[in-house]
This record gives sequence, C-alpha cells and structure tokens, in this order.
Amino acid sequence: MIKRLLALDGVFTVCHFRDDGALVEGYGMLDEDMMVRLAKFAHDYKRMVQGNTDQFSMFTQLPGWAPPGGWMVRGVKATVCSVGNLVCFVDNETAALNEVMRELTDASHY
Amino acid sequence: MSSLDELMNLEGAAAAFAYSSTGELTDHRVADGSDLGPDTLDLLAHMFVANIAIATMQARGWEKTTGQSGFYPVRGFTLVGLEWSAVGNASQGVVLRNSTADYEAAYAALGG
Amino acid sequence: MSVYADLAAMPGVIAAGEYAYRGDRYNYKGQLSDEMARMASIMCRATTMGTHMQAEILCANSENCPFDPAHGWAVRGPQFTVCVVANVFCFMHNEAGVLNRIMKHMQAKLADVKEMI
Repeated sequence: MIKRLLALDGVFTVCHFRDDGALVEGYGMLDEDMMVRLAKFAHDYKRMVQGNTDQFSMFTQLPGWAPPGGWMVRGVKATVCSVGNLVCFVDNETAALNEVMRELTDASHY
Repeated sequence: MSSLDELMNLEGAAAAFAYSSTGELTDHRVADGSDLGPDTLDLLAHMFVANIAIATMQARGWEKTTGQSGFYPVRGFTLVGLEWSAVGNASQGVVLRNSTADYEAAYAALGG
Repeated sequence: MSVYADLAAMPGVIAAGEYAYRGDRYNYKGQLSDEMARMASIMCRATTMGTHMQAEILCANSENCPFDPAHGWAVRGPQFTVCVVANVFCFMHNEAGVLNRIMKHMQAKLADVKEMI
C-alpha cells in the first residue's frame, strides 16, 4: 500500500519500519542497504523527537504536542519526512510537501 | 579558554579541536599514535553544538519549572565512551582517556 | 546497595537516581522533590537516547571512532553538573574533586552494563 506514495511528484523513497528500527518494506530509488539505514535513522530520530516533545510539553504544560505526529528534516536539495512508522525521502524542487505529509498521515493509519 | 596546545597538555589527551558555532571543524591537534582524524572530530564538534543546544533547552525549562538555577548557561557537554571521553564547550573540545581523565581540569581549561 | 544510592551518599551530590529505559518508572535519593525526579528522569532518558543515536551516526561515518556505544554523558552548568552513565543519573555541585570522583565511580560500577538505551 505504501508503494502508492511513489506516485507523488518528487518522492524518491518510502519505507515502513518496525518499532525496533528494522525495515519492514521499502520502495524507490535507494538500494536495500540504504533503505535499512534510512529505517534505522527514522526510528532513532522518531524516538529523539518524542523525547524532546515530551520535555516541551512537560515544561510548557501546553496540550496538543505530545505524542508528536511526525517530523521533517529539510536539507538544501532533499527532505526526509516521517509520520508514524513511515518515512519518505523527497526532492525539494519537485515534491509538494503538504501532499506528501497528507498521504503519509493517511498511509500511517493503514 | 585555552589554546589547542594547552588542551593537548591535559593528561591522556588524544586530540584537541576547535569549531565554529554551527560545529564545523576549524582547527585540530592529534596526539602521536592516535587514530582520531578530522572527520571524527568534525562530527564530534557537531555533536557538542547539538547537545549544548538541547541541554540549554532543558536548563531553561528546568529553571523555570523548578525555580532551581545553576544549570544555565550551559558551559559544556561530555560524551563518555568505553575507553575515551570527549569534553567540549561551544567552541573547543578535547578527547581524553577515561582511565586518567581529569574532567574538572578539562572544563577549567575550556573556561567552564 | 544500588549504584544510585551509593552516589547519593557521596560528598557534593545533590541527588542520584535511575530510570527505566522504557516507560516512566524511576527511583531516586537525595534533595529533589518527587516531581523534580520525574522530570529529571524524562530529561536524562531523552538525552541518553539522542547521545546514543549520535554516537552511532558518528562512528558509522568516521574511521577509528572510539565512541560507539556511548556509555554516558555529562552537562556542566555554572553551579551544577548532571552526569549519566547507563540509566543512572547524578546531580552534583561543581565543587573541587566531585565530578572526577563521581565519574570514576559511575564508570567503574556501570562499565559492564550491556543495555545502554
């Protein structure tokens, strides 16, 4: 099902990772080894963002932030974005980020 | 703040390095026989900058929430490995052998 | 006696504790309120997770890197230092000799801990 994200403009790769960081499935232009690394990175980054969001909520007492729904890291040419246990690697020039995040959110509920 | 040569005089120092406010390595010294290279030191520098930023967020939150001051401004971060530790502040770092590491002397040399 | 209880009895230590790697459980001894200890556990757990991830990335991308796995970390403020090795945290005063003594003790007592995050 997550393969359909590749149909969106600018999406290079989409991966589904397990709660221990292992790659469940991945599609796109990265080879298997790189997908395994992307899955591990996304898993670790998710936990780190969760930890920092917990602290933000703890210090501010603001509702609505924790648990975090997802995250994005934007580089010069590419962005890595993740929702739930899905992660996408997208091209900044051609991808519509809002659409990618919307589709990722939908797909994360499957 | 000390020169890198002064940091290298700390007991068990394997490397001393300087970096920009965003973590790019600008200068370094490595002890004879050490395998540490500029790529490792550059990544360590980025790690210092990132963790000092996170620790600053924590110190601000902690002080506001508990009323206990004494953590802000954050003066330094240390990464402890099995045999080596890296001690750094916002602009300089030093790698020390754990068995002989004098962390307090390292922080003093770094100005904190 | 547990490592954190040992630490709490050492000179210069404000408080020490341990937190579960997963979940919200924690134990502590020293001059912190229960709420402060809970917050300290959350903060230390988050930083430990980040530090481990960074050490992995650091060593996966550079040669002869001696920091993977990370065993611990410390943050120094103007008056206090926080030190974590494995899942044990220690808050201490920046008094002469305290940090070195605590670091030595924690590294010696927790060097063989296999699970670090």
